Amino acid sequence: MSKFTRIGLAAVAATMVSGAAMADSAKLGIRSEPSSMDPYFHNLGPNNAMLGQIFGRLVDWGPKMDGLIPRLATSWKAINDTTWEFKLRKGVKFHDGSDFTADDFIFSFKRADGYTGGNSSFRTYTKGKSVKKIDDFTVHIVTEKPYPLMPNDMTSIMVISSDVKGSGGSANMGLKAKDFNNGTATIGTGPYKFVKWRKGDSLVLEKYDGYKGPLAQPWDKMTFKFIKSEPARTAALLAGDVDMIDNVPTSDIGALSKDKRVSLSSGVSNRVIYLHMDQFRDKSPFVTDKSGNPLDKNPLKDARVRKAISMMINRDEIVDKVMEGVAIKAGQLLPEGFFGRSEKMRPQEYDPSGAKKLLAAAGWGDGFGLTIHGPNDRYINDARICEAVAQMLTRNGIPTKVVTMPKNVYFKRASKGGPNKSPEFSFVLVGWGSGTGESSSPLKSLLATHDKSKGMGASNRGRHANPMMDEVLLKALATVDDKERGTLLAKATEIGIGEDQGIIPLHYQVNTWATRPGLKYNARADERTVGLDLVKE
Amino acid sequence: MTVINEDAGVASAGQGSEGVETPFQRFVSDFTESKIAVVSAFVVLAIVFIAVFAPLIAPTDPYDLSIVTVADKTMAPGAVMQSGQIAHMGTDGSGRDLLSGMIYGLRISLGIGIGSAVVALAIGVVVGLIAAYAGGRVDSVIMRLVDMQLSFPAILIALVLLVTLGKGVDKTLFALIVVQWAYYARTVRGSALVERRKEYIESAQCLALSKARILYRHLFPNVLAPLIVVGTMQTAHAIALEATLSFLGIGMEQTEPSLGSLISNGFQYIHSGHYWISIFPGLALLFTIVSINLVGDRLRDVLNPRLAK
Repeated sequence: MSKFTRIGLAAVAATMVSGAAMADSAKLGIRSEPSSMDPYFHNLGPNNAMLGQIFGRLVDWGPKMDGLIPRLATSWKAINDTTWEFKLRKGVKFHDGSDFTADDFIFSFKRADGYTGGNSSFRTYTKGKSVKKIDDFTVHIVTEKPYPLMPNDMTSIMVISSDVKGSGGSANMGLKAKDFNNGTATIGTGPYKFVKWRKGDSLVLEKYDGYKGPLAQPWDKMTFKFIKSEPARTAALLAGDVDMIDNVPTSDIGALSKDKRVSLSSGVSNRVIYLHMDQFRDKSPFVTDKSGNPLDKNPLKDARVRKAISMMINRDEIVDKVMEGVAIKAGQLLPEGFFGRSEKMRPQEYDPSGAKKLLAAAGWGDGFGLTIHGPNDRYINDARICEAVAQMLTRNGIPTKVVTMPKNVYFKRASKGGPNKSPEFSFVLVGWGSGTGESSSPLKSLLATHDKSKGMGASNRGRHANPMMDEVLLKALATVDDKERGTLLAKATEIGIGEDQGIIPLHYQVNTWATRPGLKYNARADERTVGLDLVKE
Repeated sequence: MTVINEDAGVASAGQGSEGVETPFQRFVSDFTESKIAVVSAFVVLAIVFIAVFAPLIAPTDPYDLSIVTVADKTMAPGAVMQSGQIAHMGTDGSGRDLLSGMIYGLRISLGIGIGSAVVALAIGVVVGLIAAYAGGRVDSVIMRLVDMQLSFPAILIALVLLVTLGKGVDKTLFALIVVQWAYYARTVRGSALVERRKEYIESAQCLALSKARILYRHLFPNVLAPLIVVGTMQTAHAIALEATLSFLGIGMEQTEPSLGSLISNGFQYIHSGHYWISIFPGLALLFTIVSINLVGDRLRDVLNPRLAK
């Protein structure tokens, strides 16, 4: 072989290699598929993550959730106690070429507010707010009381185009979820355009050349492959079928960290994994005596019993063994670095003998029986955490059964499977990621007294209720001064979790992504897997 | 009951064998000619014994949450657990002793396999005999139903049923019965049709015996041989099917794992080097199914007159 041919071949080979490595398309293997392409159909992590690339929001979180970035709004300020003014970005066009104006935002806001037929609503972000158009690029949002969290709430409302023609009807402003699922109405202002969604298989997005805004567009084309099975996802990355996977199984992290074919990145999330306990029924369906017969009293109503349960749980063992070290022990609603935490509260120490004394003091020294219910495909190692909690309680005199089920069955039953749409179970494992990036969202949803009309306690499946905490929380929600609001939120947390043991926090999730070498995923705190954050090193 | 034996004896005596042994003795001597079949039969018996006496044999109770602890999670074979006991085959992802888990899992797998086979057999026999004896339109309707069911893959029907019904022992059992009855119905009908034309049935009819009596006392004993063969094979099939369903995560609950769910659990650790969690239950499943199938094969050879030497 002549020297020149050799050089030629090497050059060809080099181009091929770099061609493969530099190809501007990315394949991402992700665990959870969105349930719809309609931005208001389901307030669900995977939906919000995926659709945020197609649709713009006025305001967005930075990747670490430590500050807000301007997207469709360029600036915002409170112009008086009850009115927020948002200045909209000029010159933004939708994927179909039409102009973005205040009308589109108002249209979107109304559709989100009045949405019917979805799986869970965005009304918690639109309730009690009215939008006024001042001019094409200025809107005012008015509330009755001072509302400091307005910009935070706007990170949840995606903007759709008011010009799009859907399949009609009077509901949902004439746009049906299927119009979004087939792409007709999936017209946004985001950096990526919708190409095709094959349910159960993949979603393809393409770079939008006319994009105007702060987000990066590292890829020409992004294909999201939905790979639910944990080992299959890891295998797909190792085989080179995908460039990146999310939700790396904790059991694989040890081996993958030594594997030269992959590089890992991880970040603490805003999600706390915790336990709800039935505090509203005198006879709770899944609380029994030790041999499984119904009890006519509900021990979980007693804060001392709840505290004792918390003390029986060895969080170190959960973090080290179940989560293989990839989690952080929790003592409240958000990990360090987030707004509205209490500096006083620590994760409960494991103290089985103290727990027994406390149980005895509460009159339950002989123990009782429980059933823990949990999902098995929602949170990292969710079913195993349920098992571990059951083991720990059983060892300490509260024999506990474990029942886990897929999330689409679980959440419906856990929230409203009982009589009169009450929560069905007595002792449940759930997780909560604070969408507002501070502690008012979980306090409002998980610990405030359940009141549908006020939008309070929407996910309060144990029905913890303490008027004192409600008062402090309401005061916090109406306090504009950051420092004062932070203090009030911390106080509400201290009452709801510290004094009442309204919920039992277990740990904060740490999310892990794995990429092939040469790529890097900028780990996010909001758990979202977004193609924009996958970059070449 | 004597009548049945005479009938059966007469029928097979007609096949041309002679000698002084009873049919059962002949069956035993034929069966034991194959060494592999004998070994397999012993393995099957041993497995059934282990399954039945699981609580006495297993070193620990894998369902007792007061003993099982996550502190023992994914320990290699031979490691010592918190309780001081040795985990001879290691522990699984929940900290259960894998050997005990397998012994209990075997119990569930066999229970579901045999249980569903027996019920499906009962249904299939009744339906098949009715079809064969009644003939005509009844036969056509039943057989088209059977054809319809057999034209779908068993796994597909079971999947659809379990996805709609949910997990659990009862539901898995139900799904497996639904999937299997048609095999028995078809087998029974086939051999019953042949037997029906034989003289002893005619003579029974001439004696004006009731239909039920002819069906139960004369026809049924003579279709038993192929049924035993199909029953054995189907049991193995049912065990494999249950394991598949549990592996896919829709059969048994994780808290009461069958062999299939144990393999599925272990599959999560396949990239992390904890091979034992899925390999050992996999081997147990393999041995169970292979030995049942070998026994079934031999039974077919022995009981099928056409293959007789």
